[in-house]
Formats: sequence, C-alpha cells, structure tokens
Amino acid sequence: MTDVLARAIAGRPEESERGEIGRRDFFNAITAGAFGIAGLGALVVTYRYLLPNALFEPSMNFRAGTPDLYPLDSVTYMPDQQVYIVRTGDGLYAVSAVCTHLGCNTQWKPEAGLIACPCHGSKFKSDGTKVEGPAPRSLPHFAITLTPDGELLVDKLETIKAGQALRV
Amino acid sequence: MSETKNRFEAGIGSNALKTPERVVFITPKTSAQVKEKADRQLMSYPQLMLREVIAFEVLTILLVIVSLVWDAPLEQLANPLLTPNPAKAPWYFLGLQELLHYFPPLVAGIVIPTLVVVALVVIPYFNVNIKGEPLWAGDRSRRFLIFMVSVGLLLVFLGLYRAWTVLVPTVAIAGLTIVSFFQLKRPYRLISFLQTRPLSWWVMTWFIAVSLTLTVVGTFFRGPGWSWVWPWR
Amino acid sequence: MTTEEILNRLRATRAWRSIFRRGPARTNRTRSLAIFGNVFLHLLPVKVREQSLRVRATYYLGTISFFMFVVLTLTGILLMFYYHPAVPQAYLDMKDLRFVVSNGVFLRNMHRVAAHIMVIAVFWHMFHVFYRGGYRPPHEFNWAIGVVLLLLTLLLSYTGYLLPWDQLAFWAITVGTNILSAAPFAGPQLRYLLLGGNLVGENALLRFYVLHCVILPLLAALLIGVHFWRVRKDGGLTLRENHERDKK
Repeated sequence: MTDVLARAIAGRPEESERGEIGRRDFFNAITAGAFGIAGLGALVVTYRYLLPNALFEPSMNFRAGTPDLYPLDSVTYMPDQQVYIVRTGDGLYAVSAVCTHLGCNTQWKPEAGLIACPCHGSKFKSDGTKVEGPAPRSLPHFAITLTPDGELLVDKLETIKAGQALRV
Repeated sequence: MSETKNRFEAGIGSNALKTPERVVFITPKTSAQVKEKADRQLMSYPQLMLREVIAFEVLTILLVIVSLVWDAPLEQLANPLLTPNPAKAPWYFLGLQELLHYFPPLVAGIVIPTLVVVALVVIPYFNVNIKGEPLWAGDRSRRFLIFMVSVGLLLVFLGLYRAWTVLVPTVAIAGLTIVSFFQLKRPYRLISFLQTRPLSWWVMTWFIAVSLTLTVVGTFFRGPGWSWVWPWR
Repeated sequence: MTTEEILNRLRATRAWRSIFRRGPARTNRTRSLAIFGNVFLHLLPVKVREQSLRVRATYYLGTISFFMFVVLTLTGILLMFYYHPAVPQAYLDMKDLRFVVSNGVFLRNMHRVAAHIMVIAVFWHMFHVFYRGGYRPPHEFNWAIGVVLLLLTLLLSYTGYLLPWDQLAFWAITVGTNILSAAPFAGPQLRYLLLGGNLVGENALLRFYVLHCVILPLLAALLIGVHFWRVRKDGGLTLRENHERDKK
C-alpha cells in the first residue's frame, strides 16, 4: 500500500494502456484518503473538545468604589483582583500586580517606594515602570473608567498605555 | 567481495543482520585477531530473575526505611493571592529556574531545554569519531587552538550575561581539558585517563557539571527574591 | 505426608497442570519455558550474558528505574482511593491521608521518595549508558526511546507535584506554565489547553490528575515495553568491554 501511496503522491499512478489509473490503485488511494480524513477529523474534534468554552473563573472587571477612597499619592492593593489602584497628581491608574516575568504576585513596599516581586527580584515603580530584575516589561495598566453613578470600573481584559490617568 | 587486497572499512548500520553489533576495526597491514571469546551465557531463569528479585527486595527495604523516617512536605492550602517567597519549582527543575535568572524565559525555558533534548536524541545518529579517538589525537596544536577559541567565545558570552553559575563549572571542565593536553613525563593516573577521552566525553561531562551546579545552586544557595544566600545561615 | 509429597501431589493434579504447564524448572528446557512460556516474562531473553549480570556493569540503574515505576504505580493506585481531584477537597484529602487514614503518611512518603529516586535513577542511567557507549548503532532508536522516557518521567513528576494543592504545588505549576506560554506561536494556546483555562484552578487540577494517573503512565508503560524489547533485539545490554576493546 505504501508504494501505491508513494506513486499517488508522486502523481504517477499505475497506468493502463489508455493512461488511466488502475482499479486497485484507485480503491487503495480512496481508502487511504478516507482513513486520513477520518483520522484528521478525529484529531480536530478531540482538540476542540479539550479547549473549554465555559470557564468558572472570577469576573475580569470589577468596581473599586468611589475615587475619594484613594488619597493623593497612594498605592492601594486589591488582593482579590491582583490590581494596584494608584493615585497621583495626574489622576488614577489601575496597575496589574502580576509580575510580567513569570506570573508571581508582586508586593507594594511603601518604605522603598517600589513594587517588588518575590520570585526573582524584579522591581517596579508605582506606575508599573520596570526598575530592575529579569522581568521583560513594565506592569501593564488596565482600562479604568467612571460609571454613571460615580464608581471606578476596572476592566482587566483591556490594557491601556501607561501615562493615561483617569482624571477625577 | 572485492578483488583487491584485504581492506576493511569501518561500517556502521542499524540492521543487526547485515552489520553485527560488535564491529571489528583492523589496523592496516595486520590481520584480524580474535581477542575475546563470546561471553558465557546463563539461563535468565533462575540467574537473572533471582538477581532482579533481590534488587527489588533491597530497594523496597530502603524505600520503607526512608519513608518511615522522612515525611513528604505539605504546606498551607494553595492561595492564588499569596506568592511564597521564594517560589521554587521541584528540585529537578531548579537548575532550569536558576538558568531563568540569567536568560529570558524564552531562551532558558524553551530554547535551551528543546536544544538539549534534540541534542541528546541526535547523538547516536552522527557517526563522528566512532572509534572514540581521544580529543588531542591528530593535529594537536590546531585542535588546541580551536578548543581555546570556542571556549573563549563561550566564556565571553556567559560573562556578558553574567551567568556565573554556568561560567564556573565551564571554567573547571575547560581547565581539566587543558591539563589533559599537556604530555607530562609521569602523569597521574587521572591525567592519563583524561588524555584518552574523546570530545563527546568532554562535552557530556561539561553538560553534567553545569547541570549539577545549576541544580545545587538553585536548591541551596537561593533565598527570597532569588537572592544569593549561604545555606548554613 | 511430608510437605514435599503434598506439593508433588498438588502439582500432579489436573487443575495445577492446566495453569502451570512446564513442570519444575530443573532442566534447561523447563528453565527456558519459564521465560518464553510466560506472557509477562517472554519480553526478556531466555539466556543472558554472564557479564551483564555483574553489578558494576550497569549498577542495575535501569532495573532501579523500572522498579521505582512499579512501586509508584502501586502506591499511586492506593493513594487514589482517598483522593478527590477537586479544589479544595484535594488538600483536605492530603490532611486526611496524614492524620486519619491508616498508613496514609507511610504510603504518601513511599510515593514521594520513589518519585525522587526514579528521577535520579533515570538521569544516572542515561549518563551511564552514554559513558558505556550504549547509544551507538544499532542501539540509536533505543536511546531515543530512552530520552522520551526521561521526558515522561519528568512530566509525571511535574503533574504529580500539583495534586496536593498546597502552596508549593500551586506556585511551582504557575511558574512552569508561565514559562510554557513564552513558547513561540503556540505558547499561550498550549498553556490554555494544559490548564483548561487562563488560571491554575480546578480545571488544571483535574487535567493534571488525568495526565498523571492515566495518560502518562500508559505511555510510559508502553515505551518501557518497547525499550526492553529493543535491548533484547539489538543484542542485549551494552557492556563497557565491547566498546573499549579497540582503544589500545
């Protein structure tokens, strides 16, 4: 059968006098093709099956209360969401607390004025800019908006460029 | 076979019928000599089976003794919000984690392990030096030059990345290789042994030395924030 | 009647002879039958070279690796009776095993110790085969199978590491899967497939459990069978003398 396949792939099936493919080779090729398609289909179906469509993970956007909860020049860690709400003179940022190196939770160190990662020693400023360590990038900022009733809304699925503060 | 005089060539193949697994190398202008008879063979049952049973019993006893004395650790319940400091992988991956300290995750975590696995699998398919020629056979000075340049480049690369944990064992093994280059009047047995070692032996020994160092450092010498600690503190 | 007479009469019964066909293994013929008449043992050769039985030839490292695998399978199956792969039940089950289940602590320790020994033995076995030259033709394919077995051993150890669901487990797996997402092209997708989601959570625990208890052990058992078969078909264990002969 492999020689049939080899001939079929090379485009040179067993030729009869009229230059047509022989019956045996034809049926062998059809069978091999059918098995191939079925096998491929099985693989694709299994792969799709293994990727879950419904996840029971916590919601990726959350409300963070009203802006006056956050004093000027403060860094507030929201533990359930792994986000820092940072307020500077420019306004409010939502900075991710997940280290960009390998996903460990960082910690805000007020005495040093830095966000530090315990895993491999990466350090960031309060606006997420990387200062030292093996982390490849600065901490990302999440989209932070004000709802109509005056509450802060952080959307972790949407990252924005650093430097865009929410002015309140 | 050939109509010319008796010439044997080194032949290697995977078909055990055509090329028997014991290949004989004949130096030119000599004749084939049988150096050994075939080994004596014993019946698997009982000779092999008995030894396997004994091995199993000994291992089980050792396992039981250690299990009675040492407890597997169990820390607190997993807390996605609290990262322990330091967060260490299981010991057989600590070498990799140490490497991660110097190189970006793509290189240390993906590229290097993949290259190592591919290199391991590919070793037997390259019929380089099938006779196991020592490293310094042939043109000694030329080989020494190539060796020094390659090692020099590697050390510069490691130094640029400040990968000391890899650099130190590399220097140690390179030092041994250099020592084996010099033909001393009455060398120690270790040195004469090293002088017979082929390149593949040196590469594998270097690999083991680096892996061991990385793992030992990652296990005992790294503390919070992956900073350097002395294990006795 | 003496014990021997009783045993002989037992052995003469039809029932016995329908199960054990060969008779006592006192001739080379019956000793051969003990190996190739047995469905499990006939993977092995009937005769072995005397030199390959010496401890110094191989330090029995392959044997150690295999036996550790057997011990891990047995202790693992026993541990499965008290373990639910759910969050946080898994951790509570670990506490159960430690304080409530008879010999739970002992079994878990055996499982852990055997796992460590297996990883060490497999690595050492690989290095020792290398230094013996046991990878050279015609053994190349068996060496490749060995490398795959090494990877399977490491994966088995890694998937098992998550199952206690303690801090050590959770963060070790977090770091490992984050490294995986650094792979080019398919990295993040592979991580999603492995974890069954974006986070290390209950889906991840269940997937690692299935990998650890079903998929990887089956693959390992199959490949171990091939590995033994290839050793035999390629002419038996490689011993140092065979390849060192031509050095002088």
